[in-house]
Amino acid sequence: MATQEAAASAKQWRRRERGVTAGLLSAPMLWLLLFFVAPVVYVALYSLGGIKLFPTDTGVISLEGWRRFLGGGSIYLGLFWKSVRMSLTVSVVVVLLAYPIGYFLALCVRKLKYVLLLVIIVPFLTSFLLRVLAWKVMLGDRGVVNSLLVSLHLRPANEPIEWLLYSQFTVMLVLAYVWIPFVALPIFVSLDNLDRSLLEAASDLGASRVRTFVRVTLPLSLPGLIAAFVFVFVPTIGEFVTPLLVGGTSGYMYGNAIQDLFTRGLDWQSGSVLAMFLLIVVAGLMAVFGRYVQVRSVAAD
Amino acid sequence: MEIATSRAGRVSLTVFFWLLVIFLYLPIAVLALFSFNDGDPSFPLAGFTTHWYGDVLSNRILVTALGRSAVVATISSLIAVTLGVLTSFALLRRRFFGKPVVSALVFSPLVIPYLVFGISLLLLFTLLDKVLTQSFGFYFGLGLHAVVIGHVVVALPYTILTIVPLLERLSVSLDEAANDLGANPRETFRRVTLPLLMPALISAFLVAFTLSFDEFAIASFLAGSQQTWPVYLFAQLRVPSLLPQLIAVSSVVFIASMLLVVSAEIGRRLAERRYGREYAARLV
Repeated sequence: MATQEAAASAKQWRRRERGVTAGLLSAPMLWLLLFFVAPVVYVALYSLGGIKLFPTDTGVISLEGWRRFLGGGSIYLGLFWKSVRMSLTVSVVVVLLAYPIGYFLALCVRKLKYVLLLVIIVPFLTSFLLRVLAWKVMLGDRGVVNSLLVSLHLRPANEPIEWLLYSQFTVMLVLAYVWIPFVALPIFVSLDNLDRSLLEAASDLGASRVRTFVRVTLPLSLPGLIAAFVFVFVPTIGEFVTPLLVGGTSGYMYGNAIQDLFTRGLDWQSGSVLAMFLLIVVAGLMAVFGRYVQVRSVAAD
Repeated sequence: MEIATSRAGRVSLTVFFWLLVIFLYLPIAVLALFSFNDGDPSFPLAGFTTHWYGDVLSNRILVTALGRSAVVATISSLIAVTLGVLTSFALLRRRFFGKPVVSALVFSPLVIPYLVFGISLLLLFTLLDKVLTQSFGFYFGLGLHAVVIGHVVVALPYTILTIVPLLERLSVSLDEAANDLGANPRETFRRVTLPLLMPALISAFLVAFTLSFDEFAIASFLAGSQQTWPVYLFAQLRVPSLLPQLIAVSSVVFIASMLLVVSAEIGRRLAERRYGREYAARLV
């Protein structure tokens, strides 16, 4: 009897516990399923032609859109590789610039390290559009840099340095500017968590600073380094706002093609194919490198 | 011996650090400088003025756009924080099947390109519009509600990341104590957990608010004719005569969001440190 009662009450307790968990999770999960998972699945189906949204849509599932995109001579695929090259360049430059910053804050500063870290990160947390706009104002033909050079009689009037704005260089410069603060963070976290006694041990055993860095510090901060790289590469590969503002025609990126297909070209099916391809690439990158990206390090610990 | 750097290395790293700080802040400072310039944003400076700021106030469309962004940001952050609290409790305090899947799902908006997410919702709302508006005469196409919905999704992981560290430090024994003293779970939550969690909630709200207020990519696809501030800003950049006004508002928005974010960060850190100390004291 007693055991039966105990079993019954345990069962009841378990059911209640499960109810609490379901109560906590139902609203967030419902929101994400309806407004995050469903739309993405919908785009995937649309890219296959499986949905009839406009009169011109066939509504017949086929791989035609994908074949056109992946087939030889597709301009979009070429554009994708161009964006990959630009993104890779930006990521490498940014990580190289941010590493010394993370190193400095984690290992050379004692009291003020979090204050200085905040100084670096704050620009990242404010308007993205605004930071891009600032560069547009700086680099335009009649912008701050060119007009300053003219005012200082360093350059003749009416002969602005044209490549300053609307070039691939500008896009990469601005992207690097935008992402450096964010990337300093995972590098800082991995170096800050490093066990100092390992460095002391290396030094006691007679290793020089360079050797200690190459054999101890650098390998131990590698996960942070990879995370940093992913943190820049993933968002910049799908970037479209920066090239739109400062890129001109030569800075046109893959993301711009997607946006144009949806807003101007009105070829939503090709646009969906391009968007899904981008999503697959990003998901692939995360599957390979995701284990280095500890989400927690984003929280600025 | 200092192991991390030599003296010269330390000096050069310090110099490098401050050069980078200048690089990060200079463009923004220049922008703020030109918001007080009586002319185009170019040298030579034409004299000091505050009239661009005055012009902003009489620019109806601009003020409306700012208002829309404020509304969208407030509503979406309130929803995101609520959902964030629920998810944080589930992830941290409950054991359930499929936790890795849930956690992957809530954090994946951190890495999805906003462009892809924006067009996904654009497609969804176009479909909803077609079905609902035409069949039931009830409008659910593009507009501010769509922007709110999108912003909740992308803000959710940030709110969870802000709440979890503090929740981790709140001992479960506080809940148990409240329970022993006769409080039911609802009372415990309202009178014990929620007040203790408040610093993290405020901080999460501010983070979500600034994220939404400035967000362009998603809003540009979903706002329709109801332009939010970033969408309006972007559209008006082609009008040179408006540029000084836009720069003026941008400077204010920048400084305001900087203050918000810094205070959120400081508040969160103080709370975490306080609870951390109490936690340490209990262990001793």
